[in-house]
Amino acid sequence: MNPPENIYLPKTAILDRVTDDIADVKTFYWHFEDEADQKAFKKFRPGQFAQVSLFGFGEFPASLPPSPTEDETFFTIRAVGSCTAALHRLKPGDKFGVRGPYGNGFPMEEYYGKNLVFVAGGIGLIPLRSCIVYALKYRDKYDRIQVFYGSKTPRELMYLPNLREWETSAGIECKLTVDKKNSTEAWDGNIGVVGSLFKLPDTHIPVDNTVAFVCGPPIMFRFVIKDLLAFGFQGQNIVSTLERYMKCGVGKCGHCCIGVAYVCTEGPVFTYEHIKKLGEDI
Amino acid sequence: MKARVLDRRDVLKIVDLLRRQGYEVIAPFHGRGRDTFFDIVTDENRERIQIHLPNPYYPPKRFVLPHIERLLKATSNNGDIYIEPTYEQPKRAIFGIRSCDIAGIYHLDRFYMGREFRDIYYEKRRKNLLLVNMVCTDPDEDINRECFCMCADTGPASRDHFDLQLMDLGDEFMAVAGTSDGEAILADALFRKGNEAHIKKRSAILDEVRGHFKNTTSWFSAAVRYVSQGSILDKTWEAVGDRCLECGGCTYVCPACTCFTVSDRQVGPGEIERVRIWDSCALAGFTRMAGGHNPRRAVHDRRNRRFFRKLASHFIQKELSMACVGCGRCAAVCHGDVGMPSVVEMIRRATTENDKYEST
Repeated sequence: MNPPENIYLPKTAILDRVTDDIADVKTFYWHFEDEADQKAFKKFRPGQFAQVSLFGFGEFPASLPPSPTEDETFFTIRAVGSCTAALHRLKPGDKFGVRGPYGNGFPMEEYYGKNLVFVAGGIGLIPLRSCIVYALKYRDKYDRIQVFYGSKTPRELMYLPNLREWETSAGIECKLTVDKKNSTEAWDGNIGVVGSLFKLPDTHIPVDNTVAFVCGPPIMFRFVIKDLLAFGFQGQNIVSTLERYMKCGVGKCGHCCIGVAYVCTEGPVFTYEHIKKLGEDI
Repeated sequence: MKARVLDRRDVLKIVDLLRRQGYEVIAPFHGRGRDTFFDIVTDENRERIQIHLPNPYYPPKRFVLPHIERLLKATSNNGDIYIEPTYEQPKRAIFGIRSCDIAGIYHLDRFYMGREFRDIYYEKRRKNLLLVNMVCTDPDEDINRECFCMCADTGPASRDHFDLQLMDLGDEFMAVAGTSDGEAILADALFRKGNEAHIKKRSAILDEVRGHFKNTTSWFSAAVRYVSQGSILDKTWEAVGDRCLECGGCTYVCPACTCFTVSDRQVGPGEIERVRIWDSCALAGFTRMAGGHNPRRAVHDRRNRRFFRKLASHFIQKELSMACVGCGRCAAVCHGDVGMPSVVEMIRRATTENDKYEST
């Protein structure tokens, strides 16, 4: 896809509906005002991201949780700063700006024939949701598909309807855990960090011919990587997507550059092998 | 080289010529003390244009990448949003831009127009900009203590990337064209053909001028090698970080720094404009994300960033130009003496510690 003449110019998007996910996190279903923009945007790859514009507040990078195979386009956003808070205040029908998709995305075609292991913590499931839905759509292209997902508490599990579906469908093994639960919460599942799921008696993670997707808070990332390396995973078979402060998304503003790599254009998807060489904290 | 010459008293007539052709001409002036600045030439200040003067600290970068530049205007009206890009492309000439700054603008060209995404705002300004380079020949006025274009290989006389280059030969100025726009100017009756003697004089003056640079051995090549190999000791970066006051001055005076931040501001009811503003990797907020996580917290990590970005061979290969042009501004403004020449020297000194035959 050729870049547009003006790389900084957002296109008008219309908010269709909003759903509540967990505390401070909502999913925003939207479409471009111009049908041609929508069509062009829908060619995105899992793992890519977009710049969301709230005029008067600014822009922020947002990963794309939908799979390109799904009909609707949406963002799942936690309200953390002034700009994301402004998005949270929008009502269906309101307009805002979007430009993208940007970044490399996960090379899902290169993984044909392989086992896919998804390990996510908290809102780290947002970018991985795209890959999981994509892989299930092309189920016969991949070997085993496993999802290991954990959150702090049962109330903080993202995409609960998807999780329930993955837990019960054939063709995908999905295991959930929470760090802790309080006495009032109904939860009869596993309790412990994500890594504790690897030690369950019925868990078997294949190492040969497998790609592991890891996404979550830095502390979780470090421990999961340690586990995976101990299982015998090679760094180039572990992939993740990095989060950085970004202003432009197109390799100009300089904020996301780590080592020699601009996360926005050369990432945000990197193998662990590559991340190690970049030489900066996750 | 197709050299042309003109009389000394006629040199400002080039400014008049450009103004007649519709250019907004920018030229250097004296401020107070040793302070100098670029300003728009008017009938009133035309006589005060300086041929020889210390290069202004505020770099001419702002004529292609303004300190604050408007990107777009968004107007909301009854729930609708109109997004309108705002372009400016003034027909402009910089008269008397120094060779280091020519290299700086060339670096910006490579960065903003030479990579996978082209920056239309930069491109529009750049395409209408004419560069009249003045070679630094006056050891007292032109050459600052901090200048190190000799090491960066950008001066004192640019070899390319200017439209027109002028050099003071005494009673006459020599003029050469670097582009067809420059050639067109040389066709004016102001200029006459130069001869062998002029060219000889030019070489002689340059040879003499080169001897006046105090900073001629900054070990750039060694620094590039060590930075690219990743063999610089952590304690070297820490020593640099300890001396950095995090003011961001080095990046704001740098003619080759490219980073910016973007901000929206209200300009009227239902009307906002989005601007980009020069930003600095020296500042703690540069990498801090909403929510507070900052992957690059330590000062020395941020200093490491600036020098890595400028010295790593990866970027030099990718951009075919180096993000340090040897103008010496960072060295002049840095309170902690960690401008580029000092850092390069610190790198060099620290690596000698690794040499088992040198350390005692």
